[in-house]
Amino acid sequence: MSAKTSLLKVILLGDGGVGKSSLMNRYVTNKFDTHLFHTIGVEFLNKDLEVDGHMVTLQIWDTAGQERFRSLRTPFYRGSDCCLLTFSVDDSQSFLNMGNWKKEFVYYADVKEPEKFPFVVLGNKVDVAERQVSAEDARQWCLENGNYPYYETSAKDATNVAGAFEEAVRRVLSMEERTDHLIPTDTVSLHRKPRSASCCS
Amino acid sequence: MVHVYNCHPFASQQIVQVEQEPGLLCSGGGVIFVVATGGCKVEAYSLDQEGCPLLCRFATMGTPRIIQYSAIGDYLVTIEDKNNATYLRAYTNWRYQAEEKSRVGVRMLGHLLRGASQRSVAQMEIIEIPLSERPVAVACCPVTGDLLVACEKTLVLFTLRRESQHNLNQLNPQSSFQNTQPSHSKKAVPNSPSNPNVSVLDFERSVILHIPGLGPQQVALCAGYVAVHAELEVLVVKLHSSLDPKTAEELADMNTCVDQGEDPGDFLVLQRHQELLGERARDCGVSVTIEKTGMEETGQYTLSFVLYRRFAPDFFQGCSVEETKLHSLQLHPMFTRNKSMQCPEEPSCVFCFFSLPTTGYLYSLRGGVELLSAYQYPEKVLRAVLTDDLLHVITKSALQCFSVRCAAVAARVEDPYIDTTMRACPPVSLKVCALRMQLFIGLRTMCALGRHVMLLSAADAEPPEEADRATHTRSFMEFREHSMLTDIFLALGIDPTTTPALESLLSRPFLSKKWAGSRPKAPSVTGHGWNLYVVNTVSPITLYHEMVEYSCRYAETHPMGESCRHLLSEAHLILRATLIKPLPTAKGEPRELPEMPTDGEKAQRPTTDAFTDSKAERQVMETAFRENCAQLGDCFSRGNQKDCHLALPYYRMSGLSITEVMSRNRPLPISPCSYGPGFVFYLNHFLLEETDQILSQEAADEIIDIFSQTEPSQLVTVCASPAMADVSPAKVLRRLQHLEQATGMSVPLTVTMATMSLRLDDLRRYTELMEKHAEMLLVYGFIEEPRLLLHGGSGGRDTQVRPTQLANQLRKDQPGLLAAAMVALHENNKVQLEQADQVFKELGCEHNLLVDFWEAVLVASTKEAIIQELLFRLAVVYIDRLTSGMAAPSKLLKSTEDLINSCSHYGTLYPWLRILTPASNTGSQQQEALQKLQSLLCGPSMPIGAVQPLLEQLSLGATLWGLSLHVLCATRRGQHGNCIEKLLDHCPQAIIPYANHHLQETYMALWWQKLLPELCNRTRAETENGILLAALKETLLVVATEISPVEFLELMPDDGTALYFLPHLLACSQRQLLA
Ligand SMILES: Nc1nc2c(ncn2[C@@H]2O[C@H](COP(=O)(O)OP(=O)(O)O)[C@@H](O)[C@H]2O)c(=O)[nH]1
Ligand SMILES: [Mg+2]
Repeated sequence: MSAKTSLLKVILLGDGGVGKSSLMNRYVTNKFDTHLFHTIGVEFLNKDLEVDGHMVTLQIWDTAGQERFRSLRTPFYRGSDCCLLTFSVDDSQSFLNMGNWKKEFVYYADVKEPEKFPFVVLGNKVDVAERQVSAEDARQWCLENGNYPYYETSAKDATNVAGAFEEAVRRVLSMEERTDHLIPTDTVSLHRKPRSASCCS
Repeated sequence: MVHVYNCHPFASQQIVQVEQEPGLLCSGGGVIFVVATGGCKVEAYSLDQEGCPLLCRFATMGTPRIIQYSAIGDYLVTIEDKNNATYLRAYTNWRYQAEEKSRVGVRMLGHLLRGASQRSVAQMEIIEIPLSERPVAVACCPVTGDLLVACEKTLVLFTLRRESQHNLNQLNPQSSFQNTQPSHSKKAVPNSPSNPNVSVLDFERSVILHIPGLGPQQVALCAGYVAVHAELEVLVVKLHSSLDPKTAEELADMNTCVDQGEDPGDFLVLQRHQELLGERARDCGVSVTIEKTGMEETGQYTLSFVLYRRFAPDFFQGCSVEETKLHSLQLHPMFTRNKSMQCPEEPSCVFCFFSLPTTGYLYSLRGGVELLSAYQYPEKVLRAVLTDDLLHVITKSALQCFSVRCAAVAARVEDPYIDTTMRACPPVSLKVCALRMQLFIGLRTMCALGRHVMLLSAADAEPPEEADRATHTRSFMEFREHSMLTDIFLALGIDPTTTPALESLLSRPFLSKKWAGSRPKAPSVTGHGWNLYVVNTVSPITLYHEMVEYSCRYAETHPMGESCRHLLSEAHLILRATLIKPLPTAKGEPRELPEMPTDGEKAQRPTTDAFTDSKAERQVMETAFRENCAQLGDCFSRGNQKDCHLALPYYRMSGLSITEVMSRNRPLPISPCSYGPGFVFYLNHFLLEETDQILSQEAADEIIDIFSQTEPSQLVTVCASPAMADVSPAKVLRRLQHLEQATGMSVPLTVTMATMSLRLDDLRRYTELMEKHAEMLLVYGFIEEPRLLLHGGSGGRDTQVRPTQLANQLRKDQPGLLAAAMVALHENNKVQLEQADQVFKELGCEHNLLVDFWEAVLVASTKEAIIQELLFRLAVVYIDRLTSGMAAPSKLLKSTEDLINSCSHYGTLYPWLRILTPASNTGSQQQEALQKLQSLLCGPSMPIGAVQPLLEQLSLGATLWGLSLHVLCATRRGQHGNCIEKLLDHCPQAIIPYANHHLQETYMALWWQKLLPELCNRTRAETENGILLAALKETLLVVATEISPVEFLELMPDDGTALYFLPHLLACSQRQLLA
């Protein structure tokens, strides 16, 4: 484990315009650019970081939220270690759509045990004065859907951005420790079937 | 026997500054790609820059297990794992990832959409290629950039596509997949000038091969050839893309008839060695079937078998059964200069290499599959890489370098004149040799690119103290290297201590100054136990010079030894491999992005600098090449071996003049041997060839000396060469007299002596000599050696020929012999008709002897074209002689009588001609010409149509001979009536002989239809003309016997002359009654 760095794939999902790309940019380059291009399809950025003594490469996947890009983004849900469900606190519709995003993810990522999969919920644009979604409503939703951690962020003024991503990493690592504990040897690879079944296409 | 030379193909090395221990390695496009063990990042280091700086670093999406780079398309393909799933991905535009913080686009194969035009900045993009099976191995085609993926049971071929941004912008996201037709993409659209790098790569699944039961471990792809190996089997097939569905179907049927249903577990497979070449490989027992992908525009694929090889593990010593596995499968294309100008995308040659731990195999695939070389390694080899010039292999402790025969194959593809007397090249079967063994510690893997060899060493597998010793004690290493080489020699059955050259070779320090001058090769004191080296090979010309140097050393100790020649041959191939390559492009060797080969871009112009550089370089190489050919020529000319004839083509290729070659072959005063057979062969050929070069007297005399010593029987042929014109005749005469004493008299020998006497102006002796043989025998002598009479002309139909001095003399003394000899030469195809004309013209006898020659050829020839030509020519000549009244040639070789008697073309003269043109009528010469012409017209062969126009120029009836010719022609054309009138007009005394001869059979009726009325008319006008009356009488006699009395009565004139007819009517009636 010492030479190896673990590669964690974290995917940002949510309606177009909620600030996914801005959040990724803020986190990786610590910049906020109001003239960001619209995301088309799927892009990712890597960030190396040390969390609780672990060297981790965080691979942050940014997706295009618009409906018409669905066929381009869904093939890449598979293999995600964590999903960041994102809405904008000034857009109630984006909040209402979270359930659909979760469903789309679980379906296409082929998650075996959805209830155990680490989701983190981000309510972005908290710097905006006129909120349409209250923190309470958001927390309530998180509690009901699987007790997900909830972060109120602002890509614009950097509020909570790093914290949210680090939480995602922590969630994944704690999951992995459990699985490492459960399956001490790599017996998985000895079984052909699950491997080839989990193969692409 | 494997030759082991201690050359220095490796020039220098660099250590790549890699931070983490490399796990995967590959190279291409001037770049080394490194993935740290277990890492998820690819680091690209520049090979073109000093110190191999880091170009860029980019993240992969999973943990790569296999990486492979394609220069065409400039993409890196990976097989990578993530969360227990395996993915196949292509990383494109990776060079834009200079700063790691740029966003990376990701898309599925075929989902084209994004691109730099929308971003205005080019962006790295990852293409994920979905597969229904787990990928095991990948390969990229070095010619097309296509991608071959091996899964457990299938091989999937993906065609590389380049989509221009213009096309994509018009597509909306949803329909992008369906709309991206291959028709758009097949022709890559040139890059738009505003955004020159914008074009997006994509792949198209084009064919799937099912190979159940093989268990592929590695694959290779090159120009339609697909190679795959399992643990101990190799299979190579060729995919043919055909747009004709019918033939495709037929072939597909053929393909499916391979038994597929058999479960290998059902019967015991006998493990044994097997090599099946070409279509015979179809019987290998491995089932291969093509699945159609339904992509209409890609056409159909068909399959042919190329090679199958199976090995049995227990047959190999030195390695355990588990270790006996194939590795290093490679398909290697070779492009050559001329062929690539014709079709730049077709490699001239494709080679297939694969390796067992102890033996490597190199096959040539195109134009008939053939095993070129089997490389016997001295110890277990971990990995091998084939390049155009060399084969590099690594063992645990050494990098070794072997010679290859690729250039020998390519040269023969490129130049059909190789292996003729024109040009030569060392044979494909020339034994390969080890050029160098360079020690390293703990080698793991290797890749090679152009003149760079990348090596990964890791010492941590060894016990630490051993690694320590190896690192710090160089003398220990030298000792090991020495003993290892000695072992090899011994293994090959050579005891180095008994061979001084080897002894001295082994005693020299192996780390030569060239090598020691560079950085230390042992792992630097960096603490970590691994290193990534880039070892550069020397330039071909440097290696060439070193080999030549060695060969000289061998030549000193063993002038006739094989090694000298072998080294020179190796050196030859090193130069060839470079000279044969297509002209360099501006970018240098790898054809890389963004210049994917499209129709317009193929003919990339080299930049002027690169061009002049390469031009100068090439001149150096060409000079070296000629020098090498000269040295090889020397080898073959001196040696006494069976290949001595190779001296000729090598000397030819060297560009040396004959005098230079002669001076190189002068025997050393101390040397016991004189001239080698190869040299004599060369001289013989040179002298037989028609060159314009006339040797100086010294050179010519030297040649006489050489042949007197080596092959005196050749002296006659040698003297006959035009190049020997200036030889001193007295000297030759002396030599020839010796020869005559030794071997006895022969016609060519005597004639050659006569020629030399002529040159000495000794006419008396000349005549004496010429009189020694009968003319007939002399003619045979000339057939044996035509160059006694003629020079030039051996080049065929159109080459100029000249008569020799002897021919000139014969014209004066023995013209008949000359003509007879010329006819004999003509009939034996030693001289063409036109060439003979030239000779006679040059001898100044085109008016007499030439005509005699034509007549004689006409008599002798059986070729219709020649006969027709000569008939016409002779007719012209005869007419000319008749009309010009020219001064007649003194003596004709053949009279009309002779000609009539000796061939059918000259017919017997008709009797009436003697009355028309009696012998006294013209001068004797004209008489002869007239008779010959008449005789031709009396013969069956003369084409009247051709002569008629000539005769029409003669004034009609001006002379009786003119009349005779007209009548002959008219008769031949069946215009007998006309002839009758003309004869009655001008020469009535000839009419009855004419009528008797010609008015027969079908023309019989002319007696009474034409001749009788004419005579009646004419006698009525000229009642006293006795000639006419006699003719009339004769005619009536004939008519009375031929027709019935009733018909006769019809002919009776009304006037008083009828009385004249009565006796004949009576005779006619009586005949009738009798019958
Ligand atoms: N005020 C404010 N605006 C934001 C914030 N994050 C993003 N935006 C703006 O919201 C718009 C959409 O952002 P973008 O990152 O493209 O959203 P995406 O479609 O989810 O990737 C852009 O105009 C951003 O400038 C934020 O935290 N506060
Ligand atoms: Mg976005």
